[in-house]
Amino acid sequence: MAASTTCLRCLRSRALPAASNRAFSVLNRPPPNYPGHVPLTGPERLFLAAGSALMSFIDPRRGDMIALLGETTAQPFFITRLRDTMLRHPTGRRILRARPRITSQSLSLPRLRSLPPNTIGATYVAWLDREGVSPDTRADVRYIDDEECAYVMQRYRECHDFYHAITGLPIVREGEIALKAFEFANTGLPMTGLSVFSALTVKADERERLLKVYLPWAVRNGMQAESVLNVYWEEELETDVGEMRERLGIEVPPDLRTARAEARRRKRDGKTTTTTATTAAAGTAPTGDETAKVETEAERAEREQLEIERKAMEILEQADKM
Amino acid sequence: MWHENIDHANVINRTKTTMRQTLLRLPTRNSVWAFRASRPAQIASTRRSFASEASPSPEVYDVVVVGGGPVGLTLAASLGAARTTSHLKVALIEGMDLAPIRNWSPKPDYFANRIVSLIPSTVRLLKEIGAWKHIQQNRVQSYDGMQVWDGMTGARVEFDWNKLWGGKDEQTDTTIAHMVENIHLSHGLLKAIGDLAVQPTMIDKTKVERIQYGEMTGQLDMRDWPVVTLSTGQQLAARLLIGADGGNSPVRTFAGIESRGWDYDRHSMVATFKIEDDSAFPKFAYQRFLPSGPVAILPLPGNFANLAWSTTPEKVTHLKSLAPEDFVAMVNAAFRLSYTDIDYLHNLKSGVVEETKWRESVTQHPDPPQIPVRITEVLDGTRASFPLKMRHADKYIAERIALVGDAAHTIHPMAGQGLNSGIGDVYSLVKSLAEGIRHGQDVGSSFTLEPFQSERYLPNNALLGFVDKLHTLYGFESGPLVPLRSLGVEIINRDWFGLKRFLMSQAAKS
Ligand SMILES: Cc1cc2nc3c(=O)[nH]c(=O)nc-3n(C[C@H](O)[C@H](O)[C@H](O)COP(=O)(O)OP(=O)(O)OC[C@H]3O[C@@H](n4cnc5c(N)ncnc54)[C@H](O)[C@@H]3O)c2cc1C
Repeated sequence: MAASTTCLRCLRSRALPAASNRAFSVLNRPPPNYPGHVPLTGPERLFLAAGSALMSFIDPRRGDMIALLGETTAQPFFITRLRDTMLRHPTGRRILRARPRITSQSLSLPRLRSLPPNTIGATYVAWLDREGVSPDTRADVRYIDDEECAYVMQRYRECHDFYHAITGLPIVREGEIALKAFEFANTGLPMTGLSVFSALTVKADERERLLKVYLPWAVRNGMQAESVLNVYWEEELETDVGEMRERLGIEVPPDLRTARAEARRRKRDGKTTTTTATTAAAGTAPTGDETAKVETEAERAEREQLEIERKAMEILEQADKM
Repeated sequence: MWHENIDHANVINRTKTTMRQTLLRLPTRNSVWAFRASRPAQIASTRRSFASEASPSPEVYDVVVVGGGPVGLTLAASLGAARTTSHLKVALIEGMDLAPIRNWSPKPDYFANRIVSLIPSTVRLLKEIGAWKHIQQNRVQSYDGMQVWDGMTGARVEFDWNKLWGGKDEQTDTTIAHMVENIHLSHGLLKAIGDLAVQPTMIDKTKVERIQYGEMTGQLDMRDWPVVTLSTGQQLAARLLIGADGGNSPVRTFAGIESRGWDYDRHSMVATFKIEDDSAFPKFAYQRFLPSGPVAILPLPGNFANLAWSTTPEKVTHLKSLAPEDFVAMVNAAFRLSYTDIDYLHNLKSGVVEETKWRESVTQHPDPPQIPVRITEVLDGTRASFPLKMRHADKYIAERIALVGDAAHTIHPMAGQGLNSGIGDVYSLVKSLAEGIRHGQDVGSSFTLEPFQSERYLPNNALLGFVDKLHTLYGFESGPLVPLRSLGVEIINRDWFGLKRFLMSQAAKS
């Protein structure tokens, strides 16, 4: 025992593996844990998270910034939890073991176009075609330390377009926000939650509809449904969308388009009546100038509102692509 | 129920530090009432002085011990070895056959699955009563280091003398505990009893069927004496009846003493393994706290180790049903993989080897000696399990009755203290009896027994409460207590306030 003591000391010095989540300084950055990995110190992580949040707001077209925001806010807790969700599910485990990647090579897009329209594959490719994106446009994960967790983040990104396909939410702003809320409730990734805040920028009547109808639907379904990460999409391309929705426990979303059309019709009807009223009033009162001035102010407010909405929409679009 | 009013936490705080010193400290060479292992035969002539043989039935004994488990055997050996009590007429009754224990001989390359860790004070007593010399030292593994960590957060306490400032010095015995097979220990105790000049009456393969109070006979009023009826019909009257009869103690039931506590809905799975060559590392005890219960690997001599895995009954059933290689993979995984993985693996009926190989390749975990070396093989027929519970008798004594060992208290095995505290009871009880005899008191009177109870009750209660709270604390998978418990563990581990050194020297000294 005594003789072995000295040798034990040297053994012990290399007993601990250079675990990437242990503290290090900028000067002795540890080697990457996987190709493309960039290990970050705590302060760096914080700085990048704050910086990318700011940049995404200033210039919503910076998809890289939104991706960065997604990665820097997911570690360590949220992404690990999502990984564990997959580990608890047989299919999730199979995915983690095989680590399949979704690319234009791994999926034959022409074949998907030939599938019946109600299948997941056809819905998915229709979405890609309409948006003019390809599966290859997704950025590689770089700032998640654990290799397996980095894969989970990658998988989340690459499968994103499938979430559009199964929720069946229309591609208008409220649909986008609802989808983000669904993803947040389903995956718990903070970035998806942050995107929901762009809901604050939509028009008052749309906001009301969002808060009353779509967000409750999204949160309820996101929470009760099986995790979307536990679907082996590559094996489900010929599955009927409705059937998958049933399997995951997702209710058919309230039909946004009809709701919007309904609202627009009501609004138009409302406007017509006001216009008639105004015309009637104009006919009796000599205050045509004042009316014109009020309308200009309303117009400016409308224009500003539209500008904010455009920005929010861009953030959403980028978040969607990350 | 006087003890119910005691503030638990308070008791723990007050007694935690002094507990080991005051209660588990056993005789040293210069103790006032030194033990002698064997004594001249002439004492035999005085041995009947306390007992009356007047009535043909029941036969009268000074002390009747029910239960020939490790605690009962230690008691019989101690009574015979201590000078003042050696002349008492003692009978020990055990339901099972003691012959296999008496005739036990070690199989090379094999260790039994029931293994107990004996703390230094226990070994000191075993030496004094002449039992330790019958223990084959090449089958005993002592250790002076422990690795204990939280399965959810990884927070770890390392008890390793070589890592503390100053290291260990030559003088101090730093041993925390000695691992011995239960049967080996009982074998040694039976041999020590065989060495006694005055042999107790050993009745085995015989159950105690009934206990009732005696009658008025010609010479003796035995109406307050317990009379034990055996399955053979034989009757023994006891001046003092001692229950060393385990958790379901018939003696305790007879005395009408309530035992309170709860079942943990956990079983402890045990098994013995062959392990990879670990000669490059110190022999450590390892314990990882998982939310379902702690899993421990305890060192044995050579390339052997013993498992004690507390978990739910369903999971134990699963572990028992696995093919040997899958079971081995499962145990290795228990010290390496995340709780999520371990939980999932419990659903697999086969293919655990495959699955864990993949998971270990993508999971970061420490290496030996921070975790045990890999186990390679489970020894045939060593997988077994025991239900876990916490029980404490309201009191240990009544007129002509005393309870020791598991009959008095049953504890969660995570701290390896069950038998050790039972042997602490024996030491204290024999001391009280000797004291009573020296003052001319009846061995069965509560005057004689009272010091035993007052010395043992509170420390046992504190130990039970402490271990029970650890069980609860580590049962949480998440929540505010998880970071807090890790913080506590960090504070100990960094040896702030010299806390760790203190704990370690207390463990070694006890
Ligand atoms: C998995 C596990 C691991 C453990 N590890 C440790 C450890 O590392 N260190 C430690 O200190 N403790 C440990 N313990 C606890 C320890 O095993 C017990 O505390 C100890 O066995 C108690 O001994 P005992 O003699 O009081 O009771 P028992 O061992 O239960 O003996 C009671 C005896 O009484 C006999 N009996 C009962 N009723 C009758 C009757 N009516 N007539 C005749 N005979 C009767 C029984 O046959 C039995 O032999 C562990 C326990 C478990 C379950």
